[in-house]
Amino acid sequence: MSATSDTPTVDAAPQKVRRRPVSDFTQWRIVTLHQLGHYVRTNRFYGLFGFAVLVSGLTLAFQVNAGVGRIQYEQLYRSSEYLSNFLVYTGLWVVLAAALFGGDALSVDFSTGTGYYMLVLPIRRPVLLAGRYTAATLVTLAVVGITYVFGAAGAVYFFGAPAVPWTLLGESFGIAAVFCLAALSVAFCVSAYVRSPAAGVLFTLVALYVGFTTLQAVVEFAGYEPWFSLTYGGGAMAAVLDTDFIHVQAIPVGEDQVYYVWAATVQEGLAIMAAYIAVFLPLSAYLYQRKESTG
Amino acid sequence: MSSASFEVQDLSKRYRTGPPVLSNLSFRYEGSGAVGYLGPNGAGKTTTLKLLVGLLRPSHGRAFLNGFEAAVDRHRALWDVGALIETPEPYPTLNVYEALEVVGRSRGLSSEDVDREVDRCHELLDLPPLGRRVGWLSKGQRQRVAIASTLMGDPTVLLLDEPTSGLDPAERVLVRRLLTGLKRDHLILVSSHQMAEVAEVCDEVIFLHRGRMLLRDRVERVVDRIRLRTVDVEFATPVNLGSNASLRAIAKGVVALSDRRWRVEFDGTDETRARLLTVCQQAGPVVQFTNSTLALEEAYLELVSEGPHAA
Repeated sequence: MSATSDTPTVDAAPQKVRRRPVSDFTQWRIVTLHQLGHYVRTNRFYGLFGFAVLVSGLTLAFQVNAGVGRIQYEQLYRSSEYLSNFLVYTGLWVVLAAALFGGDALSVDFSTGTGYYMLVLPIRRPVLLAGRYTAATLVTLAVVGITYVFGAAGAVYFFGAPAVPWTLLGESFGIAAVFCLAALSVAFCVSAYVRSPAAGVLFTLVALYVGFTTLQAVVEFAGYEPWFSLTYGGGAMAAVLDTDFIHVQAIPVGEDQVYYVWAATVQEGLAIMAAYIAVFLPLSAYLYQRKESTG
Repeated sequence: MSSASFEVQDLSKRYRTGPPVLSNLSFRYEGSGAVGYLGPNGAGKTTTLKLLVGLLRPSHGRAFLNGFEAAVDRHRALWDVGALIETPEPYPTLNVYEALEVVGRSRGLSSEDVDREVDRCHELLDLPPLGRRVGWLSKGQRQRVAIASTLMGDPTVLLLDEPTSGLDPAERVLVRRLLTGLKRDHLILVSSHQMAEVAEVCDEVIFLHRGRMLLRDRVERVVDRIRLRTVDVEFATPVNLGSNASLRAIAKGVVALSDRRWRVEFDGTDETRARLLTVCQQAGPVVQFTNSTLALEEAYLELVSEGPHAA
């Protein structure tokens, strides 16, 4: 093709830039940093992070106000018991953060102009997904980490640093990280399936929180262990710190009736989480790869 | 730059419901230059671009960028391609520099080269301050950032869907000049409604209508094809050419441009042209008898009314 025109032109020829081949790993790192830069400036991050600080801070403040003696008595003079109780609601933070950071992580490409910016770059979609998944995991862990920081501070205040089971606390945080990965796998799968970001966030919240909690209660009422539930598996975060851990409790309800309350062991919890990751993460990659920008 | 190419082979796209959006489209361009991709809303322009970059999967046929199919290997297909499709929006939380940085880095630029390229784009497109968040930019500023993103790393193939959409007249001129400069050593496909813009920037045009190619030719030949079948006649005094029976017998259409100026459409032969001139001279004192200066737009409208042509 030859170019002929009388139009004045702008000399667009650049000083030659060198473009080096980019590996998937490098692009994953680029996408992760890009996504992380976005997440940490969103209102949802400030809001959730601030809310986690507020709730954990108030909990600790009330405990401090109650006095060291009373807290030691209530927690059976064990810092592990204290930590297990302090962290019992960590799963809720994981679910909230996973829904808010993962629920629209992929659908945003098909409902806003973000996809027309990112999906035309020479980045394979699984790499794009991996980068966003990593960034979402890091911000989710940052929110969850707040609970651990306040919990650890409380344990040190009430029981002294030497009495705190740091190894177990680290293990618990490790399980929390696996729980984050599992919850985000579900959120990413929902996000890859739906087209509306709001629907992705809402559906993830309903599925992980309301759905699992309700089903779990029903199944437990019928006398079965809710091994299918991710939130049930997430209980392992607190269970690892519980020195008096009981897998199943039989609670008598009226005459000849027993209600069973189950708690996941660490191994069981990790197995459930691993199963969710193994199923939902590849599924979200498949759905994301297949999805078309029809809007 | 000789490897720069885009190609579609027997490309069709159909959704679950409705008629085909694109039907058996084939074309190939290689080297450098600018191709205008024209058609009304719903003609299939954006669909073709989306199929080229792998945002859609073809129902039939194949689409290649620099010899690679984005549907099969998007990394290699898009490696040397800058694409502006629909309304690209970087994350609103990022600033202009960060929005361009992710593009440059993913295309293999070092940090220093990213800085150099951002500076070049800043100069070429008069970008907003680099530290300003994308969410705070005006529509025109965002569009310029999006155009800049296609230029990062200087890819040899540019696919631009309505690149001047949302820009003010001065910005449109800027982008037209930029494209005219770029086409010397880049291969550019410009989809647009702005026929005048395409006529100014592009060397070739493809007319698309209801998912089918109507015509593919050099811009000047398309305009000539229509222009040679229409003459503008100017008289020294007011004349009512519309009611002239002799003229109506040989003309296909007569339009009054003013009381002294008329546009006459005919079959394009020299014989009819001579007869037309005689009839006009009999009707009044002819001051001017020239081929019409029709725009590409009129050529397009005529083509649409005539139906599919051989590509």
